[in-house]
Amino acid sequence: MKRTGPVIFGFLIGMVMLLQYFSPHPTLLSTYNLILDWKQVVFGMTLILGIVSLVRFHSTKIRRKQDGWLYSIVTLAGLVAMSGSSLVWGTERGFYPWAFDNIQAPMQATMFALLAFYVASASYRAFRVRSLHAGLLLLAGVIVMLGRVPLGELIGITIKGQHYALPQLSTWILDVPNLAAKRGILIGVGLGMVATALKILLGIERSYLGKGA
Amino acid sequence: MSVDPGVWIAAILTLAIFSFLYKDNPVYKFAEHLLVGVSAGYYLTQYTFSAVYKKLIVPVFLNGEWILIFGGLLGLLMFFRMNRKTEWISRYAIAFYVVAWSGYVIPSILQARVLVQAQGTIPVTTGSIFSIINAWLIMIGVLCILIYFYFSMEHKGVLLPVSQVGIFFLMLGFGASFGYTIMGRITLLIGRFQFLMGDWLGIIEKL
Amino acid sequence: MRELDTSAPIAKRTIWTRLMAVDRRIIFLAVALSVALPLIYPIGLPVKTANESRAYFKEMDQLNAGDVIMFSFDYEPDTMAELDPMSLTTWRHAFRKDLKIIALTMYAGGTGVAERIMRQVAGEYGKVYGEDYIFLGYNPDWSGTMLRLGESIKATYPTDQYGTPSESFPILQHVDRYGHIKLLVSVSASALSEYWAIWAGGKYGQRMISGNTAVQAVLIYPYFQTDQISGFLGGLKGAAEYESLVGIKGEGTRGMDAQSTAHALMVLFILLGNVGYVMNRRRRTQ
Repeated sequence: MKRTGPVIFGFLIGMVMLLQYFSPHPTLLSTYNLILDWKQVVFGMTLILGIVSLVRFHSTKIRRKQDGWLYSIVTLAGLVAMSGSSLVWGTERGFYPWAFDNIQAPMQATMFALLAFYVASASYRAFRVRSLHAGLLLLAGVIVMLGRVPLGELIGITIKGQHYALPQLSTWILDVPNLAAKRGILIGVGLGMVATALKILLGIERSYLGKGA
Repeated sequence: MSVDPGVWIAAILTLAIFSFLYKDNPVYKFAEHLLVGVSAGYYLTQYTFSAVYKKLIVPVFLNGEWILIFGGLLGLLMFFRMNRKTEWISRYAIAFYVVAWSGYVIPSILQARVLVQAQGTIPVTTGSIFSIINAWLIMIGVLCILIYFYFSMEHKGVLLPVSQVGIFFLMLGFGASFGYTIMGRITLLIGRFQFLMGDWLGIIEKL
Repeated sequence: MRELDTSAPIAKRTIWTRLMAVDRRIIFLAVALSVALPLIYPIGLPVKTANESRAYFKEMDQLNAGDVIMFSFDYEPDTMAELDPMSLTTWRHAFRKDLKIIALTMYAGGTGVAERIMRQVAGEYGKVYGEDYIFLGYNPDWSGTMLRLGESIKATYPTDQYGTPSESFPILQHVDRYGHIKLLVSVSASALSEYWAIWAGGKYGQRMISGNTAVQAVLIYPYFQTDQISGFLGGLKGAAEYESLVGIKGEGTRGMDAQSTAHALMVLFILLGNVGYVMNRRRRTQ
């Protein structure tokens, strides 16, 4: 009941989803649609559970006055203000869309913009040509970096009256070696996904169920 | 300069996050926690509206599709995870979600990510000499990379140079990823500067 | 614990060791200036278009007035600097051609992003919600949603984002699954455009194009070559290329100068770091 039950239940559901790919039978199709509808609700509930866990974590921190508990008050106040305002005024007007545009969006965007500074610092300190492989990586990186901006058009050589600009070389790197590399990885990852999915379907892989499963 | 209080708040919060570049400080921490809280509040509303209202209340209670209530019951099982003694009950919901995903992943990934991609690797024999050479290079690259990732046999003898060629292709590919990553990160910074200098300070023209 | 020997000679600080130890704040300042200055004093470097961007433009441009497209805002505010210019230009291009748009998002945070863009462009072209475009909003479980849309849009989204029954929209009178849609557009910050190609394209044969962040764009080349994704825009450069093809000057085009100078600075940093590294190593071996 605790261990085998979920695996058998999952196997039956998984087989419907697998078989539907090969058969357009109406019963199979309607079951497939039903499972997809249920699945969306389950996923939504899981996301809500995530928020509940966040609230529990910060409430405990405040109750026990742990390090940084004042910041937890800020988090919970933000959460209550945002979701509460959507209940009062709806999502189309009032505080909810305003706070998204003026609080959430600018901060979320800035958080990721910080990476520009750190990637510059890391490139300067850590990107060293220590081997042929590192040299190839760096060469391709520099060519793509310069070739994918308008500045790259100004860099190039002229042979027998024909001008070859850097972007042509960058396009070739992207279209040929990059494509081959990404395709090799895609096929490898694809096969890995299929193998893992098969193990899950057959109940060989159960770690996703948690400890003791 | 903007007279909109919303733009001012957005600008001050943007600078609060940027203050981390100097060092970690209470202003940054405040902004960081506010971001987590506001985002969680925003998501909670969206999740509840989309999962509970749109997918459960409307079809089940307004349209009378009672069979869809089973999805809601399965979803509720997830909340048994919050107690260690009842945690096992949530396994049914997890198994349902994960194994259903596995079921449709197997044929679709095999088709679109493996077979179609493998088919695209077969070199063309028509077109310019450059396109033919490039097509062959792609095939050689893909084969060598796949051999490089083949760990069931030691890479020696003929496999050694082949996997070495695979590494060369991978390095060029990673280099391209690096170049593009720099591009992406810089763009995100450009976006913030456009906001600060355009919408807020009005130094640059607002598009 | 051994005490620090303050009398020990300090390693001689050459120009090369100094070159390798520039304070990170100076690097940060240089990056900020390389982005800010070209925005204030634009250079106006010309933008040349790439194959993939031309293909994206062509797929959109060959559609006829009244055709229905599906547009998925698959990103949140973190990547809006890269992807907003693509979304804005695509919507402007679509409305200029009088296309009808079914919009949705696979991210909860994508709803706010989508609403801002739709409001802006619909206002510019005088388009009406419900007639010219609808917003189905967010639906949990992206993979399940992508597959379910292949069977029925109205069943996947019983209501739009604002609670209006989907059946009541004229756009959805004759459109209820992928086959009825002329083109699918996914502007995505993650692997979602790949998954649209796998599920909407692979299982249901839906033709699609995508706009991608620069980080994601390198992974789209294999799909573009096999026509699983019929055209794509990569990063801000892709957005600028599309803007120039459509003939609209937007944030993509404006950002190109700053992008150029910042990239040049990055290359300079890498060169300086490596010169310092090589010279130091040579000095040590001597």
